[in-house]
Amino acid sequence: MDEFEKRLKRDSDAIQADVSPALRARIDASLLSVEQVRPASQGKVPVSGNLWWASSLTGLAAALMVIVLINWDRPGEPDLPAEQVASATVPADPDPLLTPPMLDIRTADFTSPLEDELVRLQSDLEKARKTVRKDLDFTF
Amino acid sequence: MLTDEQLVAASLDGSANAFDEIVGRYQQRLLRFLLTRSSSKADAEDAVQDTFINAYRYLESYDSRWRFSTWIYRIAIRNAARQRRPEWHDADVELVADADPLQDCIDHSEYENVWMLAKRLLSEEAYNAMWLRYVEDLSVREISTALDKSASWTKVTLLRGRRKLTKELAGDSSAAEARESYGRI
Repeated sequence: MDEFEKRLKRDSDAIQADVSPALRARIDASLLSVEQVRPASQGKVPVSGNLWWASSLTGLAAALMVIVLINWDRPGEPDLPAEQVASATVPADPDPLLTPPMLDIRTADFTSPLEDELVRLQSDLEKARKTVRKDLDFTF
Repeated sequence: MLTDEQLVAASLDGSANAFDEIVGRYQQRLLRFLLTRSSSKADAEDAVQDTFINAYRYLESYDSRWRFSTWIYRIAIRNAARQRRPEWHDADVELVADADPLQDCIDHSEYENVWMLAKRLLSEEAYNAMWLRYVEDLSVREISTALDKSASWTKVTLLRGRRKLTKELAGDSSAAEARESYGRI
């Protein structure tokens, strides 16, 4: 403990904090009227070991019964040959040339008079047409 | 002599004397601490009373992994916060000396009590941290639990508080020396 810590301790002791008998009496009186709050879990009635086992086994039996009943009338899976099942899970590889391109379809959102929108749409269409033509020339 | 934790266990088992012993151990410590936090001695006494009532009422929820002092100081700090004084140190706000019970409870001596200085210079939380560390000898971990802060916050706050007070005290002593030398001249 260095000098600073000693001084902190010493100066705290210098604070006069004598508890008056009146305060002590007040505290004692108030404690008499207070009841301790017990956590909710402590209020539970203790369950005996045999009862616990009985309830557990009953629950287990009920669960098994439900599983059996659910599966009782369930139609069996058709027996397919292993190869067929395996091939059915793999999608056929589509020919990329025959597959139509993914189109970005959006709903037109008209914010101006219809004539203006028509002009804009025509302009967009013309741009798209030029782009497609350029792409075709580039490809073939 | 039983520890606080053993007394708590005995009280939970129904011993009436056990909690009386706890009250006896903590009443003065708590009053001393709360005098520094309340606007009057009466408020400090009310806070002490409320602290013991709350502690007794919720004694079952005390976690014995922590020291009992950590827990009861946490309750005391909350009670004090409820009756927060408007004039608590706020950088630019000067304390009203007449209304400060701490001032009344300190012997007037040549030097300023360092806790008065701390109250003037530090924030409320920093003051609490310093008190719990240097008066109650709580560890950093216990202080962080009591104040509901992180351990790193507590370490930094303690370090800054200590530096601030040390610097101020050094300034005071040099000023006193200067006054003495001036008197000799």
